[in-house]
Amino acid sequence: MAQESVDLSCDYQFWMQKLSVWDQASTLGTQQDTCVHLARFQEFLRKMYEALKEMDSNTIFERFPTIDQLLAKACWNPFILAYDESQKILIWCLCCLINKEPQNSRQSKLNSWVQGVLSHILSALRFDKEVALFTQGLGYAPIDYYPGLLKNMVLSLASELRENHLNGFNTQRRMTPERLASLSRVCVPLITLPDVDPLVEALLVCHGHEPQEILQPEFFEAVNEAILLKKISLPMSAVVCLWLRHLPSLEKAMLHLFEKLISSERNCLRRIECFIKDSSLPQAACHPAIFRVVDEMFRCALLETDGAPEIIATIQVFMQCFLEALEKENKQLRFALKTYFPYTSPSLAMVLLQDPQDVPRGCWLQTLKHISELLREAVEDQTHGSRGGPLESWFLFIHFGGWAEMVAEQLLRSAAEPPAALLWLLAFYYSPHDGRQQRAQTMMAYVVAPCRRGNLQPCGQRHSPPTEVAQDGTPHVAHCPARRPFLPEVV
Amino acid sequence: MESLLQHLDRFSELLAVSRTAHVRTWDPVTVRRALQWARYLRHIHRRFGRHGPIRTALERRLHNQWRQEGVFGRGPVPGLASFQALGHCDVLLSLRLLENQALGDAARHHLVQQLFPGPGVPDADEETLQESLARLARCGSAVHMLRFNGYRKNLNLQEDSLMKTQADLLLERLQEVGKAEAEGPARFLSSLWERLPQNNFLKVIAVALLQPPLSPRPQEESEPSIHKTPGEGSQALVHWLLGNSEVFAAFCRALPAGLLTLVTSRHPALSPVYLGLLTDWGQRLHYDLQKGIWVGTESQDVPWEELHNRFQSLCQAPPPLKDKVLTALETCKAQDGDFEVPGLSIWTDLLLALRSGAFRKRQVLGLSPGLSSV
Repeated sequence: MAQESVDLSCDYQFWMQKLSVWDQASTLGTQQDTCVHLARFQEFLRKMYEALKEMDSNTIFERFPTIDQLLAKACWNPFILAYDESQKILIWCLCCLINKEPQNSRQSKLNSWVQGVLSHILSALRFDKEVALFTQGLGYAPIDYYPGLLKNMVLSLASELRENHLNGFNTQRRMTPERLASLSRVCVPLITLPDVDPLVEALLVCHGHEPQEILQPEFFEAVNEAILLKKISLPMSAVVCLWLRHLPSLEKAMLHLFEKLISSERNCLRRIECFIKDSSLPQAACHPAIFRVVDEMFRCALLETDGAPEIIATIQVFMQCFLEALEKENKQLRFALKTYFPYTSPSLAMVLLQDPQDVPRGCWLQTLKHISELLREAVEDQTHGSRGGPLESWFLFIHFGGWAEMVAEQLLRSAAEPPAALLWLLAFYYSPHDGRQQRAQTMMAYVVAPCRRGNLQPCGQRHSPPTEVAQDGTPHVAHCPARRPFLPEVV
Repeated sequence: MESLLQHLDRFSELLAVSRTAHVRTWDPVTVRRALQWARYLRHIHRRFGRHGPIRTALERRLHNQWRQEGVFGRGPVPGLASFQALGHCDVLLSLRLLENQALGDAARHHLVQQLFPGPGVPDADEETLQESLARLARCGSAVHMLRFNGYRKNLNLQEDSLMKTQADLLLERLQEVGKAEAEGPARFLSSLWERLPQNNFLKVIAVALLQPPLSPRPQEESEPSIHKTPGEGSQALVHWLLGNSEVFAAFCRALPAGLLTLVTSRHPALSPVYLGLLTDWGQRLHYDLQKGIWVGTESQDVPWEELHNRFQSLCQAPPPLKDKVLTALETCKAQDGDFEVPGLSIWTDLLLALRSGAFRKRQVLGLSPGLSSV
């Protein structure tokens, strides 16, 4: 308790100083600084309120003699008033200052003062004198027309942005970069106010004609945060623009997804699919630039975790969602496959991207042999143009869980001697790092194992370097069902 | 029903009193009761706002009040100003009380407690008063920030957001006043003319006259105060302008040519009077032989350039206005003696200037140099 109160005093000093510097947040520097600190200041206000509500007015002033100045300064800063719940918490803090039964004129005056500040917060800072006179003259109060005024201003700004975007050559009507940057700053505290959505959307989608990015990074961060926490709902086009313009936001979105997957205890495929669809990443990935970044992050995750089956499962579910989304995209700009998989041979990409369910049963063997051939070629291709060798090919292959399942099923069903191509595929799927000889051994073991066990279920297992091959040459496949209970549905 | 209407009466009085020093006598009980009434009426508005009979009864009662208070001539309504205001009458009352420093200590404390109870369980059905107030504060800051950091006055006044909002309010008020009393709008507008900054008022009128006509739709809850029903409001404005020549003269003088052209195109009833004014202005100018230009005798006379501007703008309007203007000019020219030589009749000179201006414009645009209708 004592430590908390010391912390509060330190914070108090810090924020008092900040507020003095910020004043009314009228310059570029003060606005930027305010934006960066909005969330933390709100937290501080909450802590203050918790402390203040336990005390009466006199005690408060003993403890924090300048509290009235601190709160007043905050009230004069429109960025703070506009942000989230800060205005409410400020009001609560101010209410704590009121004396229930004022003993002297000083306390009475204080009460009056608090009332005045409360009124100021709510009186909606008047600006144009003429407008104020006019509306008053008509008999209207701000509550009557401010929502409408906000709406008109937002729509007007949004259409100006759109016009600026479309009519780049009409330099007279162009929005200056300073004005755009200023607008984006001002939107930071307002992101979660639904009335402002059209403006946020316009800022994201209409990127004007400057070669470099004009909008403030704080703006992108704030929008991204709101999207991830579901505090704003924007159309997909706006989200895609955000992620294309501001890479850290896309990365954060991916990390957010990973965090959700990690923190959730038992992840069945359905839940993974839910998380992935929820994140809007599959739809966004229809744009190749986004797909490449997402894929790269998956790749890193895979390498970091040494081929964790959870990551592989996530990648496979993601690919399914992605392909579904791609199907639904009826845009004129359809990107060539090559842009999604630039390092793969087009024939391999094309054959892998088809839906396994579209392949008629009779053609399974043919198709799988073809895939096997192409992959083998890519793996064994040591020439100058190839990138990364077996690992890259394997990374590509594991995107598509459907094929591995098909191999397993084909092997199970056919009573005849399993074709080498299929065995190769299976061996490759589970042990990409194996040398030729090692793989041949593994392939032999696959032929033997079903006879011993009566079933063959490729499901999640560690795809680790060859050193972990069991001494007796039996593959890991057989051990897996008991050890990896979380993927019961893969096959 | 009668008790509801009495409630309305009493609340309206309360609202009027809440601004005065009389609140000094209020104790916490009075404050609580006032807020309760407000909450009750707000609830009524939400439930029955669309209901024919109840809504009509409430409106009629309000209109009676206004008539009795003779508000149309004097100034803004002291109590409830519109039916829509019922939708947020609790906020209205709260704000008035908060602004009133005459409130006693006990009453003030109780008020603040009632308005801002602190974090708690949010009401599932309706937004609490606390939430409404917080939202208003947030909205106000938003408007303030956009105004000073992004807003730029639109040179086309009718597209400017501040102007549009004021115009919407004017039209809405006119409609309400018109419902209360047939002659209401005219008297109301005259009283506004006396009281408000005139330049801004004229601009708002122009913008109001240019608001797009929307088909009448049932009253919506979503935007309680701003709903466009320009038909009656615009008519009232036109009627008033036509009935007040001094105002109309100021209107035509103060506003830019382009805006006036748009207004006159939209409301043909105004064009004869506008043209009449322009001819009056033209006739006040005489030709200065030395300087070779048309000048006025007094400082407030409209100079040649402005006159020319306005006619030029009118000639760019679509027919029938354009034709009317040209006919008027030709008539004036004929009355003056039908001269073709410049310097003798201002109408000749105007027509010459307009013609050559049009010719130059067609050249610039790459159109064929036909003389078409000018």
